[in-house]
Amino acid sequence: MKKRFGKILPSLLMCLVGLAAVLIGAVYFAFISQKIYEDSTDHLREIYGQVNRSFGLFVERNWGLLNSCDDYFALADKEADSRAEAEFIRSKQDYWGFSGFYFLSEDGKCMTPDGLRDSADLSGVHQTLSQWREPIMAGLTLPSGQEVTVFAAPSRKGTFRGFDFDAVAVSYTNADLANALRVDAFSGAAKSFVIHRDGTVLLSTQTGGSVFSNYLVYLKAASDLNEEELAALQNDWESGTSGLIRCEISGVDHCILYQNVGYQDYILLSAVPESAVSAGFLAVQKSTMAVLIVIFLLVGSLVVAPIILRSRSLSRKSRLELQYRERMFDVLSASVDDIFIMIDAQDQTVDYVSPNVERLLGIPAEAVRKDIRVMETCAVNTDVVIPQAELETVPLQASRSWEYEYRHQTTGERRFYRMTVYHMSIQETKKYIFVLSDRTQEQLMNQHLQEALTAARSANEAKSNFLSNMSHDIRTPMNAIVGFSVLLEKDADDPEKVREYTRKIAASSHHLLSLINDVLDMSKIESGKTSLNVDRFSLPELLEELSIILRPQAKAKDQSFDIYIQGAPPEQIIGDRLRLNQILINLLSNAIKYTPEGGRIEFTVSELERPAPQYAKLRFAVKDNGIGMSEEFQKQVFAPFSREISSVTNKIQGTGLGMAITKNLVDLMGGIIRLESKPGQGSTFTVELSFALPEQDEGDSWFRHKVSRLLVADDEEEVCRDIREMMRDTGVDVATVTSGEAAVEEAVLAHRQGRDFHVILLDWKMPGLDGVETARRIRRQVGEKVPILVLTSYDWADIEEQARQAGINAFMPKPFFTSTFWQAIEPLFTDRPIATLPEKSAPVPERVMEGRLFLVAEDNELNAEILTEVLAMEGASCELAVNGQEAVELFKKSAPGHFDMILMDVQMPVMNGYEATRQIRACGHPQAEDIPIVAMTANTFAEDVRNALAAGMDGHLAKPIDMNAVRELVGRLLSQREQGGDGK
Amino acid sequence: MKKRILCLLLLAALTLCLAACGGGTQESADPEQLTLTVMGRKSDMEKSYLTSIFQLYETATGNKLRLLSYEDAEFEAEAAKQFAAGNQPDIFLHFHNADLNRFSPAENFCDLSGESWVSDLTESALAYCQDREGRLLGLPFWESSVSGCYYNKTLLDSLGLRPASTQAEFDMLCQVLKELNYTPICWPADGCTWMFQFGLDPIFADDPALLEQLNANELSYADIPAVADMVNWIGSAAKAGWFGSDYLDTGWDDVSTALGSGQAVMTFIWDTWFYTDFAAGNQYGMEDFALMPVFMGTADSGSYEGGNLNMMMVNKNSAQLDAALDFLAFCATPENYNVAFDGISTVSCFKGQTTNIQSQMVTDAQASISENERVSTAATKIVGYSAEDVAAAFDELFRGRTDTAGCVQRMDEYRLQDEVLQGAA
Repeated sequence: MKKRFGKILPSLLMCLVGLAAVLIGAVYFAFISQKIYEDSTDHLREIYGQVNRSFGLFVERNWGLLNSCDDYFALADKEADSRAEAEFIRSKQDYWGFSGFYFLSEDGKCMTPDGLRDSADLSGVHQTLSQWREPIMAGLTLPSGQEVTVFAAPSRKGTFRGFDFDAVAVSYTNADLANALRVDAFSGAAKSFVIHRDGTVLLSTQTGGSVFSNYLVYLKAASDLNEEELAALQNDWESGTSGLIRCEISGVDHCILYQNVGYQDYILLSAVPESAVSAGFLAVQKSTMAVLIVIFLLVGSLVVAPIILRSRSLSRKSRLELQYRERMFDVLSASVDDIFIMIDAQDQTVDYVSPNVERLLGIPAEAVRKDIRVMETCAVNTDVVIPQAELETVPLQASRSWEYEYRHQTTGERRFYRMTVYHMSIQETKKYIFVLSDRTQEQLMNQHLQEALTAARSANEAKSNFLSNMSHDIRTPMNAIVGFSVLLEKDADDPEKVREYTRKIAASSHHLLSLINDVLDMSKIESGKTSLNVDRFSLPELLEELSIILRPQAKAKDQSFDIYIQGAPPEQIIGDRLRLNQILINLLSNAIKYTPEGGRIEFTVSELERPAPQYAKLRFAVKDNGIGMSEEFQKQVFAPFSREISSVTNKIQGTGLGMAITKNLVDLMGGIIRLESKPGQGSTFTVELSFALPEQDEGDSWFRHKVSRLLVADDEEEVCRDIREMMRDTGVDVATVTSGEAAVEEAVLAHRQGRDFHVILLDWKMPGLDGVETARRIRRQVGEKVPILVLTSYDWADIEEQARQAGINAFMPKPFFTSTFWQAIEPLFTDRPIATLPEKSAPVPERVMEGRLFLVAEDNELNAEILTEVLAMEGASCELAVNGQEAVELFKKSAPGHFDMILMDVQMPVMNGYEATRQIRACGHPQAEDIPIVAMTANTFAEDVRNALAAGMDGHLAKPIDMNAVRELVGRLLSQREQGGDGK
Repeated sequence: MKKRILCLLLLAALTLCLAACGGGTQESADPEQLTLTVMGRKSDMEKSYLTSIFQLYETATGNKLRLLSYEDAEFEAEAAKQFAAGNQPDIFLHFHNADLNRFSPAENFCDLSGESWVSDLTESALAYCQDREGRLLGLPFWESSVSGCYYNKTLLDSLGLRPASTQAEFDMLCQVLKELNYTPICWPADGCTWMFQFGLDPIFADDPALLEQLNANELSYADIPAVADMVNWIGSAAKAGWFGSDYLDTGWDDVSTALGSGQAVMTFIWDTWFYTDFAAGNQYGMEDFALMPVFMGTADSGSYEGGNLNMMMVNKNSAQLDAALDFLAFCATPENYNVAFDGISTVSCFKGQTTNIQSQMVTDAQASISENERVSTAATKIVGYSAEDVAAAFDELFRGRTDTAGCVQRMDEYRLQDEVLQGAA
């Protein structure tokens, strides 16, 4: 309290001193003003007293002048001295300066010294003079308009130039008199008048004349004098009392001084503006005041200066400290990611904004300082970031927090802030302090943790689901195997039951095996361990293989299976043939599987717009009119172990992993897979994949062999169009018809015109004339010269003979490809023999393994025993090695031709299969390079096959051993070896 | 003998008849009668005092007057055409203004200075009718008025003020009245274009050489300091508030109200205006007004402008010159003109004029008028003068768009333009 009082004491003292000074000054000023006024009016009275005395003296002297003239005229010779009298008058005029001299007669006439009569109307003057018999003073306007003042006096009767007179008069122009009465004091602002007691103006001292006729009347009109004051003034004038009044005339304060002239009833009246009256004194007053003020200021300065200096020193120190603290706070706040804002709780004006607001939010601090609502522009998903209503609920000395997301106004970056508002009272003023803390990292971390948690939960759930599914799917076949094994033991004596149980155990085993393969495949793909085996391959060959594999399945269910080629997709592409094959087989086998008997399967291959010249984008669409899928199931069709539960699907065996594998393989190959399906109407799976293109083969066989005109007959217009499209770049002119009859007409017409088609391609199954009949009719009319080929997607073995007889030169499978077409017709234009049937691998003889000796490397005793038994069942025998090293030794020691083939397990102790193979190939044994070595391994992936081949093996068999596969492979390898071919 | 006498009488009668037929007119049946042709503007010729004097003349002399009058708009052109064709009348009525020059007055009209009636003309009428060489071109026979500063005497008396007799006093009077919150001068700038000529009259009436040089384009207004004095005074008076605050928006119709209400104290106008346009029923009536000279910075004692008079001029080449001169003498006879002007409100052109009505204002100021009256000079004798053009130049000054020099320059420009137009006409 004392400290505070000490702070305000200097100010209080200064105020008191100042107040006292003002009071003293005011009193002094009033005193001085009054004194000055009194002195001024005294001065005014003194000046105009002198003027009045001078005027009185002037009048008195004029009376004397007139008396002297009277005396002169009385003494002068009446007749003889008229010229002398005139001369006398002129001499007086020269001295006195009067403007005229008049002799006045009793009858009011006048004569001038020049003898002019009645040059002025002085009748009124003479009348007054006669009445008063005393000298008079009067105003007169001459005929010329000149205004004069006349001084007249009775004289002794006389005669001047025969003019009888009894009075004489002199006149002065009012202008001359005004000059005499004019006072140069008061800066020329004073006006003086000689007036009658009734206010009538006799003359004025104004330069240039006067416009006042009656000053009393004028005062009535122009001054602020009231009736009483005017009456008092008039009384003074009429009583001859002198006086001085103050009044306002036309808004200007005047002093009016009136003094009796002393002759007749004339009054000398002076009107002077007060400002002029006191001008001199006011100057003194101002100077005095100025000196006093200066003295006061000097003294005050001496007293106050130390106080002020002390105060300013303290204030400056305080301000510097404050500036230092503010600067330090600015620097600190600029380097942190927290924004500080302080606003007045009452009017929301911003008191402080930390400078880092521009860095963190992209808003200049000045903008926030002007209007804090500018912060709202940064807020994401909310318009009001300063919730006024909620602010008011924050108690004093308490705080509340809100979370907001802000967008940086410059960079657009979004960041999360926690805005904490503190309601404070600072110097008895309520303030809100906003602290905006950047919580972006924390928020992101929380998000990541949440996502990780979700992922973990999902993974855990997936794992649980997987285990659950696996448990179910494995247990089901295993249950069958175990169950039928028990029944097999029980009914071992019943060969029928034994065969039945064995068949069911084998079926369950195969299902279990495919399940395990799929699971492993899936696992490997998902773990990212799957790699693509990219190489150039023929699309037509791939499609032919698919046709060969799947067509029998479709035929078994009496389904139509058609392959369409749209556009002209490239025939040679670079990609993973095996994986593409796997994808398409999965899709097609599913289509066949889930389409009822008699249904329709369409497989369409088309080329989309090429993403780049070196790449082709192919679309594979598998469409069926099968059972279709519900919308719910479509959402999870690519999920592992997903199978729609229905009365139909329950009867169909499947692992539920096929589509998941397919989806993963498509993803792996950078493609997309889509599904369109409606329950009961069928499904369409579409796969789009990009493939690199090999460099184009040069040369044009078509032109070289003079094949330039082709006739195609197919009842499907799309096929005709596709063939035209695919042949477009070959330079061959393709004519298409959609019936056998039309084909016959076209061929005959061309023949008659002498321009036979170079090749005729006929669809086998067409409405009306089929391909064979059409060919027959063409041959009949056209002859044998033109090659005729039949295009079919069916097995032509049954009609082969009939076709030859009809004159058909060759068959070619659908879909049409230029390469396969050329392969089919090339022999017709060369010396090569015509292949009437596509080359098929020779069937493996039933007892191909009979009498063969195998070197079997297998570390698993059980597997070795099974294999020994299986080989024995085929009539073959084997020698066992328990690891790779032992196998190598056995082979080295064997005589040439002792072993027919080596079946090599891969994962073995001591030496694995790969290494053993390499050592065998390098051991120098006569059979080392050509003895077939086949890998037997549970590792069934592509790279396993590739590794096996790379190690020098000739084939790959997956465990568990499928005897058919063993027989197929062994048969092929042995056959090749015996024919001297290269099976690799 | 009787037969011979009868034959002689018949012959004499036949001779007389033939002689009468040879005179060409019926009027000339009386060998003492003659016919004088009088040409003038139609509206002028219809003035009552003119028709009256024409009738008096015909009655008294038995002579006839053939009146050739033209519509006002066509008068100047038609008259000039007749003069050019040699069809000049015996008597020609025209104002003494610049338009008269196209009729070559010195060549076509008699100098009447020696006529007996000249001494009966008032000084202002005589001065008006004389040309620059002092020749008396015609007999003024017209109603006239005196233009000056008409002021509210009653109001001035009530304020203890009196009229001014000098320019300085007039300025003082204006300032005092302004301080008393009156409009000293009613100056209706919108349409009242006549005032400016009152200031110009003293300049050119007092120094005819200036007028000649101006009309000869040897000088311009800008070369005459008094013109700038007038412009400067008017501009200063307007700035000082002596014309009131809304003078730019007031016109002819506002003058009566301003003066009658006492809001304005003075205005520059002519006496007959009080008979024709001053509305009765106001606070102040005609009897409250008096006349003092116009003060406009060009004459220290002020000036009045005499009336613009129509003159009767005699064709010096007239075949009936004597009869024409006798006609003018007939008109100038007091007995005749007093009959013609009986009851007409006009300032007297003749000293012996007694039957006309002359305003008390003029009568009271007669001495001052005699002292300070100028013949209407600017409007009538400055070639190219147009009251409207001068007013337009002043309008720019009043609205602050130009200064004194600019205003004078504009006056010159307008004058020269009008001079060209008048020359073309």
